[in-house]
Amino acid sequence: MFLAQLHNELWKLFGKKRTYIGFGAFILAQTAMLLAFKFTRWQSDFERLLSGNGYVPTEFISALTVSVVMLMPQIILLMPLYATLVGGDLVAKEYEDGTLRMILSRPISRVRLLLVKWAAGIVFAAILVLVLGGTALGFAKLLFPWKGMFVFAPGMAFSIFSPGEGLGRFMFAHLFLVVNASSILSVAFMFSCFNMKPAAATIVALSYLFVNVVMESIPFFDRFDNWFITHHFRCWLLVFQNPVPWAQILQSEITLLAICATAFVVGCTAFYVRDIKS
Amino acid sequence: MIELRNVQKKFGSRLAVDDLTLTVPRGEIFGLLGHNGAGKSTAIGMMLGQVWPTSGAVKVCGHDVASHRALALHKVGAIFETPAFYDYLSGWRNLEILSHYTAPTTALRIREVVDWVGLTGREQSKVKTYSHGMRARLALAQALLPGPELLILDEPGNGLDPEGIAEMRQTIGRLHRELGLTILLSSHQLTEVEQLCTRIAILQQGRKVFEGQVTEVRAARSKVALKTPDFAAAVAILHERQLINGSSDGRFLVLKDGSSTADVTRALVSAGVAVEGIWQHEQTLEDFYLSLVGGQKKQSNDHSASSSEHSMPNRVVQRPPQREP
Repeated sequence: MFLAQLHNELWKLFGKKRTYIGFGAFILAQTAMLLAFKFTRWQSDFERLLSGNGYVPTEFISALTVSVVMLMPQIILLMPLYATLVGGDLVAKEYEDGTLRMILSRPISRVRLLLVKWAAGIVFAAILVLVLGGTALGFAKLLFPWKGMFVFAPGMAFSIFSPGEGLGRFMFAHLFLVVNASSILSVAFMFSCFNMKPAAATIVALSYLFVNVVMESIPFFDRFDNWFITHHFRCWLLVFQNPVPWAQILQSEITLLAICATAFVVGCTAFYVRDIKS
Repeated sequence: MIELRNVQKKFGSRLAVDDLTLTVPRGEIFGLLGHNGAGKSTAIGMMLGQVWPTSGAVKVCGHDVASHRALALHKVGAIFETPAFYDYLSGWRNLEILSHYTAPTTALRIREVVDWVGLTGREQSKVKTYSHGMRARLALAQALLPGPELLILDEPGNGLDPEGIAEMRQTIGRLHRELGLTILLSSHQLTEVEQLCTRIAILQQGRKVFEGQVTEVRAARSKVALKTPDFAAAVAILHERQLINGSSDGRFLVLKDGSSTADVTRALVSAGVAVEGIWQHEQTLEDFYLSLVGGQKKQSNDHSASSSEHSMPNRVVQRPPQREP
């Protein structure tokens, strides 16, 4: 029964055009970035960085390298935007449209309903991230050769890999990107459970994210890094370190999963005590 | 089928439903009447577990809605004033989605219900292409899918044209006759309630001001119309002879128990007042409703409401609002 309800929830989610806005935006952004990398100084700067560190640039300016370069800004900017857009819609849009009242005239419990909706949101987050990574790699492969991987993220990673190992790490990093997307989607979902418009839920969740970014960038808060969700979002880049700092990754993942669970419980509680009226 | 006992609901400091006690027996078409904001939708929300009562108990199908909502609503269907659907999906897909919140539903059952409501041929079209009437039929279909014993209709005629309202009225009659459903119909359309319901309750500012059979209302509130050149003189004479309880609108009389139109005619003729016509006038539910609602408004505006009908020139008899003990 739960699976049937989840299936129906996914029908609702993927039947809406606005669900695909994120996918469309990713494809546009990736195309623009790919062309910019290929035809501006961006590529030559990268080559200079590689040669300055004693590597042969032609061996590492590859589809894998470029796909990670393309992913980094999109993970910071676009992914949270579209995850919160869908997360903020999950409950609040149904309330706004009046369909929630139709659903809640049925004997389904509110907690069960939210669990189904949240699970559908997590499925969406996973698909969003996998499509993002897949298209990044696919597009990069069109213009760049399949060679070694070079990853440079200031303070996080400066590594080179063989094509095989690079692909393995690239795929592994997506597991953590799914957790990132799920966390921010859960925060938007939580606000969506309160009595507010879908747009408000999305904006409040994005505001929470931006406040994290701003506070994290203030030197005074350096010692409180672990309290900021955006700090843990970067743990996917740690996968590209040598050796992989597993303890740090585990800490970040546990924090993000705890945020997901907390957001769900708070959202459930707020929704449970609410009166659903037209 | 439905039992509300001393239910109260407050939204902040606003009292939406006050001490409401209501029983809807199996097999009835029960009308919940009241103007907008009277508390009908809040009462229905509490029956469906969508609105939490501040105090009191709500039972549906013998189960407490607050503690055993799933059991209480297992055999309940509901339709709201503006049926909302996933417009970008087909009617069939909408029915599948909504029915799965109750129990797994077979395609055969959905087909059966689609046929019953007359949507065959359009069930695979997107809901956004449906007319208002078709949406109403789809709403009925989703309510019927779980095989309900109780159907709750919250202002189902809202937004429908006269043809749609007539169709809906026929459908409700069919549901009662053919499927034997107990129906709770909330409405502010008096004719709708009068034509359909066997029993009614009237809500005013969250309080029940009347509950009884529609026939009982008609019988209890019947009055006599009198056509005479001097109505005021006629009323004075009839009061003097203790034949009437009151008068209204310059043409209606409420006779005392034991008085008849013949007694009235005789008294007036003997006093020299011409009687051009006298006949029994059956009060419509609308008249009755307005008299109750008007009485309530007056009572809330004027705490020193008089028990004398003479002090209320526009009302026949200002019956005080009835409250359940």
